[in-house]
Amino acid sequence: MAQMKFYCDAERCIECNACVTACKNEHEIPWGVNRRRVVTIKDGEQGERSLSVACMHCADAPCATVCPVDCFYTTGDGIVLHDKDICIGCGYCFYACPFGAPQFPEQAAFASRGKMDKCTFCAGGPEEDHSSNEYKKYGRNRLSEGKLPLCAEMCSTHALLAGDADVLSDIYRKRVINRGASAFEWGVNQLKS
Amino acid sequence: MIQYLIDGPLWYFSLAVFFIGVVWQLIAVVFTGNKADLSVPRDSAASGAIKTFFSRFVPHREIAPAIMLPVVAGYMFHLGLFALLFFAAPHVVFLEENLLGFGWTPMPHWAFIVAAQFAFFGLIVLWLRRLVNPVSRLISTLDDHIAAILTFVVMLTGCFALLEGSTGLRLLHRFTVELWLIYFPFSALMHTFTFVPSRMLTGAWFGRRGVDA
Amino acid sequence: MLSLVLTLAFGLQLSSADASNIPPQKPNVPDGVSALNPGSDLWREVRRRDGVGEFNEVNQGVLVKDLLSEIQRSRQVPQGISQVNQVDSGVMINAKGRRWAAFRMTTLASYSGIALAAIFVIIITFYVVRGKVPIEGGLSGNMVKRFTDYERITHWTLAVVFLLLAITGLILLLGRPLLIPLFGKEAFALLASASKEGHNLFGPLFLVSLIMMLISFARRNIYEKGDLTWLLKGGGLIGKGHASGGFFNMGEKTWYWMVILIGLVISISGLILVSPNFGQGRLIMELMHIVHAVSAMILIVVSVGHMYLGSIGSEGALEGMKTGYVDINWADAHHDRWGKHCHEEDLIVSAEEYARMQGQPADSAEPAMEQGK
Repeated sequence: MAQMKFYCDAERCIECNACVTACKNEHEIPWGVNRRRVVTIKDGEQGERSLSVACMHCADAPCATVCPVDCFYTTGDGIVLHDKDICIGCGYCFYACPFGAPQFPEQAAFASRGKMDKCTFCAGGPEEDHSSNEYKKYGRNRLSEGKLPLCAEMCSTHALLAGDADVLSDIYRKRVINRGASAFEWGVNQLKS
Repeated sequence: MIQYLIDGPLWYFSLAVFFIGVVWQLIAVVFTGNKADLSVPRDSAASGAIKTFFSRFVPHREIAPAIMLPVVAGYMFHLGLFALLFFAAPHVVFLEENLLGFGWTPMPHWAFIVAAQFAFFGLIVLWLRRLVNPVSRLISTLDDHIAAILTFVVMLTGCFALLEGSTGLRLLHRFTVELWLIYFPFSALMHTFTFVPSRMLTGAWFGRRGVDA
Repeated sequence: MLSLVLTLAFGLQLSSADASNIPPQKPNVPDGVSALNPGSDLWREVRRRDGVGEFNEVNQGVLVKDLLSEIQRSRQVPQGISQVNQVDSGVMINAKGRRWAAFRMTTLASYSGIALAAIFVIIITFYVVRGKVPIEGGLSGNMVKRFTDYERITHWTLAVVFLLLAITGLILLLGRPLLIPLFGKEAFALLASASKEGHNLFGPLFLVSLIMMLISFARRNIYEKGDLTWLLKGGGLIGKGHASGGFFNMGEKTWYWMVILIGLVISISGLILVSPNFGQGRLIMELMHIVHAVSAMILIVVSVGHMYLGSIGSEGALEGMKTGYVDINWADAHHDRWGKHCHEEDLIVSAEEYARMQGQPADSAEPAMEQGK
């Protein structure tokens, strides 16, 4: 079985936010919910870097640990999904998640947030594949069509990659070698090399 | 099966019981009649009726301090219940789709919750007073307690279903509403309608006799 | 490439040659060339670590202290920015969430369960050993007024709201380990959804009834001179003989102030948790959740003791909150100073007079409730 992973290359991401837009469009996500976002560190300073962040489908997901109703499950492909029929919209997964991936349609008083929504790695949800219920609740199920997540598929600089962890780490390794520096030792700035 | 029953036949049955029962009761009130008052009227009965109807919304000055708690709690409960019954978004949508065919602007969600809190607080305080105060405990009948508890349960199940995310909780709320509707015409809950003729009748008597109260 | 390596080497040589106070991880290199690995730079920024020395501090120390310092720090130096304008959307990684989750699911849930089980075991043991504490000399039938209607309504309103909140809160905290194995996920999801909505709606009512409680009972609960003796005597629960007490004894006063103070903490943290619309970040929510849960558990556990002492634990105690009147012998036994005051002021109501006030014929012992039907 494959281990599905996202990888975002900080040396390639140009903060174009196309992944965000593509995701919203593909899954027809409501206003106020952003399954993916681009975070820029040290904006306007030397060493500015951007990374596209969404659910990283952790092997030992904190959201699944903390959920009071145990609505999360991991698929055979290592994708963390949740069941919206069970979700009670308490928001604890958002507090526990390191990446801020869980999203809620509202942020209204009396904690009425609605049911949680997050990146599904374009793998739908527990509903029947390609059913209208699945699309309404979880968005498009591209994985079952043999396609990878759209955000990564259409990234113009190939900064965002999605797929089997082995394949991704091969690509990453090649890139690192090409830059002439290891990620674990003092390297040089790729832009100047 | 249960869903079909609650959403279908039981709903129409309870509505029928509610409407027929209420109309029946009101007609009965109208046709009960009173012994003709043969005395010479000292003042207008109509003006007395209207005056008393409105003056009874406020407690009499002498007894106001003693009954401040039930008055305030009563207003909290009734206004809160009215607001959440007719201006909560899910209720407006329900009435539009199932009964009336037209809707109106609902309250924002937070106002709905605040109204519900007012209603809950008022109801809890009023029911506890009924139990705690020796006089109101004595004059309370079983019907009063059932009416209070049933209303509380209807509101509580409504509050439980606030997420509007599960059929089970919606059905539970609707089921308790149906029980409440069926119970309504045969109980003290009828005061929703009968308080108007009751007050006005008293007022008319007072007016006719020239009592200023 | 070769020129770069040369410059770098030259730069490093220079730095080590002329300055000993420059840290070794920041070599002095010519402008435009960052000698540090940009990836590790970014990582340090994201994980909020200043330097190598802080690495060991991760996952150590008190979580609350960590959260507080991180809240303060993220105010001063925001982690990043994002075009997505949402709560915490500029935070790439919040490393505290995982520790909070672990705290909630292991420490908090297990200690809460143990504390709840323990208090019930303690109370049952106490009841078996000590039994219902009787009034010396039995009930006299002569009563004295203790609480007004308003005070009793306040008490019971707070009690009803507190119980609703405690039960729904415990369902949310302990439901996953205890109830999901019993009911299954789907059924429990209904219960949990109902609990969550009920908890959020009733929460503010707790604050309202708490304020009513504060207004009507505060004056009589101020500590006074005789209270220390009560404590030294073990409150009459341990050992023989009753401890001296005024209108409220020291135990009741302490419970009252616990309710007020812990209740306020619970209410305020709860209000912060229940209004995500004001844009407080995850760190504040995590902190507030810990404060809310821990203080609520303390109050719940102690309240079980209060309920025991107010009902089956002590003869004649429940009467005060039920009817507003207590037996004069009970007052003498548990609140001797107040009892003495009642004797002096002649506030005692005879048994017949009391029965009449409760709407009963003087000779009948039937409860008043039966009459209304």
